[in-house]
Amino acid sequence: MTETYTMDGPSFAGMLRTGAAVLGREKQAVNDLNVFPIPDGDTGDNMYMTIKTGCEALDAGAPGSVSDTASAVSGRMLLGARGNSGVILSRIFAGLAKGLEGLESAGVADFANAMTFAVKEAYSAVSNPVEGTIITVLREGVAGADSQGDFSRYFNTLLGAMRTSLEHTPELLKVLKDNGVVDSGGAGLVYIVEGMKNAVEGAVDDGSALSPASGQAPSVDLSIFGEDSVLEFGYCTEFLLRLQSSKVDLAGFDEKPLVDWLNSHGESVVAFRDGSIFKVHVHTFHPGEVFNYMQQFGEFLTVKVENMTLQHHQTGNENNAYFRAPAKKYGIVTVASGEGLSEAFRQIGADVVIPGGQTMNPSTQDFLDAFAKVNARHILVFPNNPNIRMAAEQAATLFKGADVDVVPSADFGQGYYGIGSVDRDSDDTDAMLAGVCEVMQNVKTGMVSAAVRDAENGGISIHTGDYVGYSGKTILAGDAVREQAALRLCEALGAASRDVMLVFTGADVPDDEAAATRQKIASAYPNLEIIMNKGSQPVYDYIFVLC
Amino acid sequence: MLAFFSDTDCDITPKECAEYGIKLISMPYTVGEKVIYPYVDFEEFDSHAFYDMLRAGTIPTTSAMSEEAYIKIFEPEFAAGNDILYVHFSSGTSNTFTIMDMAVAKLKEKYPARKFWSIDTLGISALSYNVVLEVADLLKAGKTPEEVVEWAKAEVPKFPMYFIADDLKFFRRSGRVSGLAATMGGLIGIRPVIHLDDAGKMVTVGKETGRNKAVARLVQYVEELGEDVQAHRVVIGSSDCPDLVDMAREMLRAKFGDGLRIVETQVNPTIGSHCGPNGLGICFHAKHR
Repeated sequence: MTETYTMDGPSFAGMLRTGAAVLGREKQAVNDLNVFPIPDGDTGDNMYMTIKTGCEALDAGAPGSVSDTASAVSGRMLLGARGNSGVILSRIFAGLAKGLEGLESAGVADFANAMTFAVKEAYSAVSNPVEGTIITVLREGVAGADSQGDFSRYFNTLLGAMRTSLEHTPELLKVLKDNGVVDSGGAGLVYIVEGMKNAVEGAVDDGSALSPASGQAPSVDLSIFGEDSVLEFGYCTEFLLRLQSSKVDLAGFDEKPLVDWLNSHGESVVAFRDGSIFKVHVHTFHPGEVFNYMQQFGEFLTVKVENMTLQHHQTGNENNAYFRAPAKKYGIVTVASGEGLSEAFRQIGADVVIPGGQTMNPSTQDFLDAFAKVNARHILVFPNNPNIRMAAEQAATLFKGADVDVVPSADFGQGYYGIGSVDRDSDDTDAMLAGVCEVMQNVKTGMVSAAVRDAENGGISIHTGDYVGYSGKTILAGDAVREQAALRLCEALGAASRDVMLVFTGADVPDDEAAATRQKIASAYPNLEIIMNKGSQPVYDYIFVLC
Repeated sequence: MLAFFSDTDCDITPKECAEYGIKLISMPYTVGEKVIYPYVDFEEFDSHAFYDMLRAGTIPTTSAMSEEAYIKIFEPEFAAGNDILYVHFSSGTSNTFTIMDMAVAKLKEKYPARKFWSIDTLGISALSYNVVLEVADLLKAGKTPEEVVEWAKAEVPKFPMYFIADDLKFFRRSGRVSGLAATMGGLIGIRPVIHLDDAGKMVTVGKETGRNKAVARLVQYVEELGEDVQAHRVVIGSSDCPDLVDMAREMLRAKFGDGLRIVETQVNPTIGSHCGPNGLGICFHAKHR
């Protein structure tokens, strides 16, 4: 193996792509490091989508300098950051970019030094750094890496120290130990570094074998392009072509004539070659001709063709100032999973509900897109999840179209009560929000859900298939019978001293069972006002919101 | 002779009018294109059906009456040689009385010998109802219209009504309540407590979480502000929420005993179009409003 002592832009790009590819393959393993007996916290997906979005900045080819490459990736990653771990990951790369700033290429010592910036940035990204998480793994890894040799030595020692640190995380964080797992964010980072190490050692992997991440396709209104429409903008055409040795001489292959051909048959051409893969983006009126031409040289790995009239409409419509009503005083953006809860939020006054939650944290970009849809002078964001709050706050600082306040709702119930308490006529935003927070603080949310695995928590033992009643991460009740779990949860949540309880029934609860459970709760707590809502949400059979 | 008038915005029904010798003016509301006159266009007010219609999203509108309409109502009395006493809902909530005054001024030119007295109850619904029946009692006891008008000057400010509302969109749409926070409180069980002030205007005085606390607060006003509560009617007005009425009645009986003269009314559809369903108010005799 040749020893490598310098890293330039393209080689750093290859490391990042390979890091993303390794995480992409292992993301389910990261997801499975779940510390709670219900499906939640898809850390692997969040981190993968974050780094993958960052790598998209390199799709047009990596800049020559390591500094430009690092800053291009971290800039894009910032927008794509999803979830807590994703946002921290984006900060790690932002720190790295800061440390590499101005360098054409980096030596091992330069890179090791930049990694200390990454540690600093990661710690500053979280207001209360918790040890035993991704930041610990990064810090201990960087401290244990050997920068006296070449890059291979550096990454091998970095990886070794990170793995040791990762295995140690259950000693630092009780919740991990209780559940017999290591920290998921730390594990995700280890996979990324493993990929970077592979790339340093020559095994670059661009991840093209991976299926594209789900959940990103925007909804398209097909009626926009009708029977009498004229093709005005052509097709946005993208593909990856694997050059075939049976068709071309790989060693002497020159892609320049292909790029010239593309330029004569279309516009906005972005094309580059990475090994035997040729990536093309072109706007053309005749995608068929492009494919036929290109197939002379290889076979397609992926293709994507979109009618740009539809694309144009998606973005053009929102930016059309002539059709905007006067901005209202307050606009509200929140996050919910499932149509039932999203509809509940819309009824209580949310303007935009971003799909997301524990299992799918929206990115900073998702928030920015949502803000752009709200026609208000002041946007209030209710993230309803501590893991989503950071992405919302990043978006709030980036958005220029309106004042944005992130109201720290920690769960669905707080968000629902908070939004319901917003005085839409208030002239004093600060005072109004103080009132909203006061209401939210008094709100307690509990959920009943079927357990997907055995667990022992707070003296309550749960078996797979049992119904678990919990609040936040604390299990409060468990019973083989759903109604019993619900009743015990009410008691544990202090229903006796509460005035109102909102009930959102899940998709799996039959109406008559919900009505019978309501009746039992009502007779147990005669002073409690019970407001029933058909949430039809998945996973949570009941959501109780007490105030 | 004296013609004693009241209107449907005071919650009084034709049956009670017959009992107390009251002539009823029907205040219209509009559903879609259709103008509806209570107890003219229907015999019985089906409160549940009406408020269910509002719950389902149909919100009626209301409008002031025309000068011609008032002339049509009052002229036959003057022509027959009768004087008129009209006890009506709050002029602070509608401009219909400006139009009425113009009609009356015209009629007085035509019938200079005739007399017209009006008493503004500075209230709506259960409050107006309470005052109308007090006036009926006084007239029955032989008081003259002049004496009743004097009584009203001193006593109308002593009939408060405190009420809670469930869905604030009705109030917000009509813009008739000051100090009302534009929240979605009904969906989360946080209700505003509203009262009618000395000028007959609706003003928010606070909010309560949960129906139990909300109803208890209304009853607490009866306790704290009440004066000779037992000697007068305590009127509970409601818009299709029998559970809340039961709760209020029980709490009142627990505090004041079974002898309390509790009368229950259905909030009429014209006022109900502004207050919405699930509203509850209590009117009682007090030291002040």
